[in-house]
Amino acid sequence: MPAWTKPATDALATRSGLLNGGRDGALDAALDRLAPDRAIHRTDTPDLRVTAVRRLPPVSADHAPFPEALDSRLVNALRARGISQLYTHQARAIELALAGKHVVVTTPTASGKTLCYNAPVLDAVLQDRSSRALYLFPTKALAQDQLAELHALVETISSSSGEAVGVFTYDGDTPQDARRAIRARAQLVLSNPDMVHAGILPHHPRWAKLFENLRYVVIDELHAYRGVFGSHFCNVLRRLQRICRHYGSSPLFLCSSATIANPRELAERLTGQPVEVVEQSGAPRGEKLFFFVNPPVVNSQLGIRRSCLAETRRVASEFLQRNLQLIVFAQSRLATEILTTYLKDDFEDLPGGAERIRGYRGGYLPLRRREIEKGLREGSVRAVVSTNALELGIDIGALDVAVMAGYPGTVAATWQRAGRAGRRAGKSAAVLVATSAPLDQFIIRNPSYFFERSPEHALIDPDNLHILVDHVKCAAFELPFDGSEAFGAHDLHAILDILAEQGILHRADGNASPRSGDGPAEEGIDAVWTWTSESYPANAVSLRSVSSDNFVVIDESDQARVIGETDFNSGTATLHPKAIYIVEGTLYQVERLDFDGRKAFVRAIDCDYYTDAITYTRVSILETFAEAAVPNTGHEPFFAHGEVHVVTRVVGFKKIKFYTNENVGSGELDLPEQQMHTTSCWLTVPSPLMTTLPFALDDRRDGVVGLAFAMQQVAQLLLMCDRHDIGISIDTERSPRESSGASPMDSMNGSDGGFSGRIFVYDNYPGGIGFSEPLFRMRRELLEKTRELIAECQCENGCPGCVGPVGNTGPLAKAAALAILDRLLAAAFEG
Amino acid sequence: MDSTSLSARLRSIVGGSSVRRSPDTKPAREDAVQSGAHRLGAPAEEILGGEWCRRDGLSCFVVDRRFEPTAQHGHDRVEALGTRLTAAFSQAALILELTDSAGAIQPPMVFFDLETTGLSGGAGTLAFLVGCGWFADDGAFVTRQFVLLRHADERELLMMVGHELARAGVLVSFNGKSFDAPLIETRHLFHRLPWGLCRLPHLDVLHSARRFWGDSTGSGCSLAVLETQVLGARRSGDVPGPDIPARYFEFVHTGDAGPLAEILWHNRLDLLSLAGLTSRLLDLVRGGPATARDAGEALALGRLYARCGLTLRAEEAYELAFAAGSALVRRDAARALALLCRRARRWDDAAAFWQELLATPSCPPHFAREANQALAVHHEHRVRDLATAKAFALASLGSSPRTPHQPASAWTRAVRHRLGRIERKLGNSQVSRLNFDSRVET
Repeated sequence: MPAWTKPATDALATRSGLLNGGRDGALDAALDRLAPDRAIHRTDTPDLRVTAVRRLPPVSADHAPFPEALDSRLVNALRARGISQLYTHQARAIELALAGKHVVVTTPTASGKTLCYNAPVLDAVLQDRSSRALYLFPTKALAQDQLAELHALVETISSSSGEAVGVFTYDGDTPQDARRAIRARAQLVLSNPDMVHAGILPHHPRWAKLFENLRYVVIDELHAYRGVFGSHFCNVLRRLQRICRHYGSSPLFLCSSATIANPRELAERLTGQPVEVVEQSGAPRGEKLFFFVNPPVVNSQLGIRRSCLAETRRVASEFLQRNLQLIVFAQSRLATEILTTYLKDDFEDLPGGAERIRGYRGGYLPLRRREIEKGLREGSVRAVVSTNALELGIDIGALDVAVMAGYPGTVAATWQRAGRAGRRAGKSAAVLVATSAPLDQFIIRNPSYFFERSPEHALIDPDNLHILVDHVKCAAFELPFDGSEAFGAHDLHAILDILAEQGILHRADGNASPRSGDGPAEEGIDAVWTWTSESYPANAVSLRSVSSDNFVVIDESDQARVIGETDFNSGTATLHPKAIYIVEGTLYQVERLDFDGRKAFVRAIDCDYYTDAITYTRVSILETFAEAAVPNTGHEPFFAHGEVHVVTRVVGFKKIKFYTNENVGSGELDLPEQQMHTTSCWLTVPSPLMTTLPFALDDRRDGVVGLAFAMQQVAQLLLMCDRHDIGISIDTERSPRESSGASPMDSMNGSDGGFSGRIFVYDNYPGGIGFSEPLFRMRRELLEKTRELIAECQCENGCPGCVGPVGNTGPLAKAAALAILDRLLAAAFEG
Repeated sequence: MDSTSLSARLRSIVGGSSVRRSPDTKPAREDAVQSGAHRLGAPAEEILGGEWCRRDGLSCFVVDRRFEPTAQHGHDRVEALGTRLTAAFSQAALILELTDSAGAIQPPMVFFDLETTGLSGGAGTLAFLVGCGWFADDGAFVTRQFVLLRHADERELLMMVGHELARAGVLVSFNGKSFDAPLIETRHLFHRLPWGLCRLPHLDVLHSARRFWGDSTGSGCSLAVLETQVLGARRSGDVPGPDIPARYFEFVHTGDAGPLAEILWHNRLDLLSLAGLTSRLLDLVRGGPATARDAGEALALGRLYARCGLTLRAEEAYELAFAAGSALVRRDAARALALLCRRARRWDDAAAFWQELLATPSCPPHFAREANQALAVHHEHRVRDLATAKAFALASLGSSPRTPHQPASAWTRAVRHRLGRIERKLGNSQVSRLNFDSRVET
């Protein structure tokens, strides 16, 4: 257990506390209001509103001298900028890089990670002016942020030693006429994976100078590359290294990452190279307090708690009142907008004029975002309510408090968000406010589970065939494949041959002319596959989502203008006709959705409700890869994984009143359905087990629904994935033989081949992203943890914290779900 | 996953996203060069009628052809195109705007045109055919086409092409500055070969064609349109440009060079028409407005001369265009003449052309504004007719359009300033008169 998790016994009067008495005093006062009982001496008290308080004591700096080998011009420039020595982790990372090792640095936010890679890069450029480095940031905004920092350092070098270093960003915003000059002059190119994928690699001949001399590839925010994005990115790096080999270079990878469980594994998987880890930080850190807040139960029978947003509003107000600067993280774009509205209502009419409370999320136009970031750094913005968009290292200065409205879903993301508040000296605080979702309730009632747990593994599946094939195409466009190459885990020749079969590639064997090579030459080792299509394959592949499409939101209230955008997948759920679309607290109603044109036309509206879409999902099994049966019975397998077909459609929406969350109306919608093939796990409750349950049919079905509700949360916990990475669907209609026509009741009343419940947990990405197989392996843990979650819940008949609110299921859902799990666990693992 | 199921899954993934295009390949057309349909399965060398050309240890498949001097291309015989081109060669310096070093350009002029596997650019787009053409001493138009029969031969092909083009004095292309030259440069970069041809003067006829014929064709400025409208040539059964990549891929996949033969023929005709257009263009520049076919050509000539500082020739061309042109050409010519006269400080002539410009039907607001302003200046400062100056200034205010590009306020402010000054001058003379009168009375 790390030292700071022990309740602290020392007094609070640290040196920094005295220096920053005003602000620290205000912080103490606010925290006292949250937990009046001398907060930091408390042990965990899951029954109280504040269930946990942890104090992270201040840490002093651990310094090291500059490595001997580092270019003196760089060292002088750093000294001129006030850096007279390094932190130990910086020195270690720089030494490793200079020794030719790939490195990943995983020290906390604001520990000076950028110097870990800037120093080796600038050293290389100073030693040999032809050296080149490519910096990759997950977003354009981060690249802009880093550009400013690098420019400052490079200017100092230039004024102290006369060495000019060319640093440029190269992304979608770079003007066409500037690109040629940048290709020629940039020694450090700051870009993003999307640009490398679609703008640089396909045009590598024009970048020959970069690739010939590429010494370093810097990957910032490595942990951002997981799931679909990470799987694509891994393939982009495979392509990058392939091009480098062509030009005779083999760059070192310098990575930085937030704390995750497997930084080495992720870095090695992404880069395909052995990587050294630097994780011991030498940077100082101010004292930080971490509070867990559980909104009070307002209806104990129904297990209903005060809404998380209302509680967050209260917590945030305590800090805002005392003029502390804070960031509030909300779980969704909608929640962000609602919270912004609440806080603006409470505070914006105070004297001070300018907007002190701002919302921030993806979909805001870049100019607005830059303005908000600047306001935060300068202090004119006192509170920002954000989605995870501000979780990454955009420079917003050091804030006093981070409040999280809901558990971010992973330990890593929670620490990352908490880290947005914090100063080198002086106090800061992080507050986690739980929602009534089972996962949140599990975490908030078991604080030590969170504080003692290692952060998650970042999973990628770069060999997902959909993704791999897309990148094999892109790679073939860039350079013909020869038979000796490898690319990914699958049989590359097979992939190339299928592409050749489709006419996308042409296979030529040996040195023979193309038409004489009918018979396969020795396993294709002499074969060459060349691109034979007019298309530009990178344009058809988006690294971030299923489709590169998005919807733009056009406000027609006054003059038509674009006010936001939404990715294609969530388009129908957030921009359906009559939906309320919110931008920084201003409400708009969607008047028309032009689905084919990918445009939503909205008009400003004054109303007191927001909308929530109702989505219908249907899953059917295409192929079973593996299954597990209950031993010693003839029962059908209860757990399996394989390939499925998922159809989703937004069928309607609910109108929900602000503040009270009353459901004040609904509407039906007729929108196009979306389909995909993906991988899934599914639990089948065997029908003999089902029929012997001491419950009525409806209650048994409620039990399955409740079980699914709880299981989704636990699956998310086990897989360490984002909420949107997995989908869940229940099929109680059963059975393959009597599908259409018959109503569920009919089939249930039939023979013992009749009713059984089936719950799908599917990868929410075409082709799957590698969750189903691990989940299949963890089936026992999945079922046991689900049972634990339900059994330990204090409610009587089910609540949002376990099997879902009673209104959604039935009064016996909780009991039925437990009964199903008990029997299943007993039969499958103990029988 | 075993290999069969992998293949099956791959097919379901790949098959969904693309359909192999099978171009509608007709048997090679008979023409002057193509001797009837080819033998099925015949080697490419035979079908295309070329040979492997070897030089300095390199080899490349090359197809050499001649358009005989007496062959007809549109209105003219091939030898006539060549003769005119030779006679007017030095005029190319004007089009290239190499005015200070005119005469620095050297013959021969080599025409070039690529056929490529796509328009998107990037490392995966190849030039599978590099066509070059020039006029031989006997008046024939000679073409040499470098054909990529095997992907692996590209490097050698590029080196051979480099040798061939290096002997050129001027490169001539159609849209080559934006497309062909960057593409072939990328191919050189791909193979890390030096690309030295960027130093050669490069005449992109598309740019001139737009200026000389862009308005008159009424149907765009493609080589096919110009060939018909300017040269009077017709082709039938030509390969549509968009089909070309698919035909080449068909050849790559099947080894049947049949679909390529028509592309080679298409490319040769493109080269000949390019040479014809260049010949016409240079002849026009040499002969001056008297040889212009219409007022539009005369206007474009005027502009070309003006850019090169040949004011007298420009004025002559503009005047001819003004005298003979349609309303549109008259309008542009009048404005060009007004500006030219003003620059020559021939104020009265300039004013006359500004008046002419205003008088042309449907004179657009921004021209009218310019003319009214010029005339206001002219009458205020030179004629010293303040009342007329005021009238023009007011008119320029009236003709001021709501253009989004020029903030109306800046314009309006300038005019108000002028009006104020004119008013003051007008007022001053009145006031002084009054004062005089009053003094007399007292």
